[in-house]
Amino acid sequence: MSSEFISAIGEHMVIVLASVAIASALGIGLGILSYWKKSLGTIIITICELIQTIPSLALLAMLMIIFGLGNVTMGSALVLYALLPIVRNTHTALSQLPPALIDAARGMGMSRSQRLVKVEIPLSIPMIFGGIKVALVNSLSIAVMGVLIGAGGLGYIVYRGIQQQNMGRIILGAIPVVIGALLFDWLLGNVEKRLAKHARL
Amino acid sequence: MATIMKHGPELLISLGQHITLTLAAVGMGIIIAVPLAILLTRHKKLAPVVLALASTIQTIPGLVMLGLALVISGVGVKPALFVLTIYSILPVLQNTYTGINEVLPAYKDAAKGLGMTKSQVLMKVELPLALPAMASGVRISAVYIVSWATLAGMVGAGGLGDWIWTGLSTYNTTYILFGAVPSALLAVLLSTGFGALESALTPRGMRRTS
Amino acid sequence: MLKAKHGILVIALMAILALAGCSKSDTITVGSKDYGENILLGEIFAQMIEANTDLKVNRKLNMGGTFVNFNAMRNKQVDVYPEYTGTALTATLEMDVINDPTESYNIVKDEYLRQFDIVWLEPLGFNNTYTLAVTPEIAEKYPMETFSDLAEFAPNLIFGAEHEFFDRQDGYDGLIEAYDLHFKGEPLKMVVALKYQAIGQGDMDITDAFSTDGQLRQFNLKVLEDDKGFFPPYHAAPIIRKATLDAHPEVGEVLNRLAGRLSDERMGELNYQADVEGRPTEEVAAEFLKAEGLI
Repeated sequence: MSSEFISAIGEHMVIVLASVAIASALGIGLGILSYWKKSLGTIIITICELIQTIPSLALLAMLMIIFGLGNVTMGSALVLYALLPIVRNTHTALSQLPPALIDAARGMGMSRSQRLVKVEIPLSIPMIFGGIKVALVNSLSIAVMGVLIGAGGLGYIVYRGIQQQNMGRIILGAIPVVIGALLFDWLLGNVEKRLAKHARL
Repeated sequence: MATIMKHGPELLISLGQHITLTLAAVGMGIIIAVPLAILLTRHKKLAPVVLALASTIQTIPGLVMLGLALVISGVGVKPALFVLTIYSILPVLQNTYTGINEVLPAYKDAAKGLGMTKSQVLMKVELPLALPAMASGVRISAVYIVSWATLAGMVGAGGLGDWIWTGLSTYNTTYILFGAVPSALLAVLLSTGFGALESALTPRGMRRTS
Repeated sequence: MLKAKHGILVIALMAILALAGCSKSDTITVGSKDYGENILLGEIFAQMIEANTDLKVNRKLNMGGTFVNFNAMRNKQVDVYPEYTGTALTATLEMDVINDPTESYNIVKDEYLRQFDIVWLEPLGFNNTYTLAVTPEIAEKYPMETFSDLAEFAPNLIFGAEHEFFDRQDGYDGLIEAYDLHFKGEPLKMVVALKYQAIGQGDMDITDAFSTDGQLRQFNLKVLEDDKGFFPPYHAAPIIRKATLDAHPEVGEVLNRLAGRLSDERMGELNYQADVEGRPTEEVAAEFLKAEGLI
């Protein structure tokens, strides 16, 4: 059974990390967009908040109707749920930059994209990273439900435990999730702090 | 559509079960969390430990908690309600604690200066000022619970989850939507409703610019 | 900073590819429904293919109910899974009950090939029929032997079953109509595996059981007789996508070696070991196959 356990952990992590990676790319992009165009920004963030409110089983089941069973469906759900923390943090970080800095950059003749790449994003990294951290920790837990729609991961172990009324197996499936959540929270929290120090002028 | 007509009454019953389950769990969560939060503000050293513990419990996947409750106390509404109540505690606990803590000492001092006892300070100054934060906690809790309550269908507790589960077992898109859409709408409704309550409770002078 | 952003995009692209998964043509996907016996059968199929052919097996066991697996097969996500003739006949094909096992097998075999390009391989040898089960205490309190006897006492009993049972032609609605049953209150719905726990703890009094379930023995449940023959025979067999079989005829040949090897008693015994004794599915499957000299 331990090889089944190890491969479940592996599969779980691949799905979670891949989804958070995709959500990061997408989320940062949407965050920047909502910063550049305020009206669009409100709509984007409202939609992300709306998605967050949808019960996870409901969203998962609805995605299954579109994408069928399997890891792609679970991944899509994770990406959708990961958007809000990342988009919101990106937007907030960019919006909270001291106007003096932005003026200085403008004064130096930088275009909007140059300003973004050379000044605004670097200073926003700690907060963006914080959003990614939250997304990662949440995804670890949500991904357990994957078993219900034919995806892999630790949910399989938990579900087998439920079916066999085996508390040990249920807990076994949960341990990597809880430990992973605590670990990532602590680890990435430290990285976040270090990045914040670097970003300070 | 004819299907909606045919299943309408059943769906309403499930909706009712779902709402009842949610309100019961959130209600019990409030009853447990608020006194606990007040206690923690009086014993600040315990706060980090308790909050960290509650926070860790929150990371336990719903399926796992349900599974454990299942093995211990079986099938039906009771184990589901037990698990849901546990999940509803943290948001209310955290927000109430923060809300009370953030009451400016100036207000508490003024109250003491007026001759209020400690419990009067609590009831007349701290709690009222913490209400917006508490409402926020209840809102977060309610949205969480509507979501987890859909899993309750797995263990015979009824609710909108039943439709989703049946839909998943029988690959029936209609059933899935019958369960998923109302539960999503319910969550949004509760979130908006409690959000409005939150705004209403925030005295104009204390409103932070969003 | 452009580098970091590019890096994320690259990882994202790789991630998308990884998730979508590259399907290899020399891999067979074996699925199963979400309860012990079907998972065990799926594992048996998987091990047979792995041991006796050059093909690799991708296991997608414990994956929802009948319709999930059936649709997964039609969507080419699953190549083989264990199915039952009765289920195929009444639940999937929505035809009327046929009580003759050979006739129902042949009809199901023809229709699946004709309508869905799915091939039924040889039956495994056992009939796992739906039945109704009550605890010994209930049986003592309300003496009954058949489903018809049940009608008298039904209003005192709480009925519970898995979600799927309430949505099948050979399920709840048909059953209560055929025998004029009126159970107490609303029926309980839960995932398959929880039924026995519920009945064991007294949360419900009567459930639909599968006749080869190990838990029947574990909880000493009394099984009632379907005197009017409402439930069709449910003979188990591997079913496989025709396209897969055409591409890899050896899979069919290998799985057909299982024909007739599992009697009702044998399947019940294996289920008992996996579900009640909690032995790992892989072990029970392997032990069975070795004992039969199949691997």
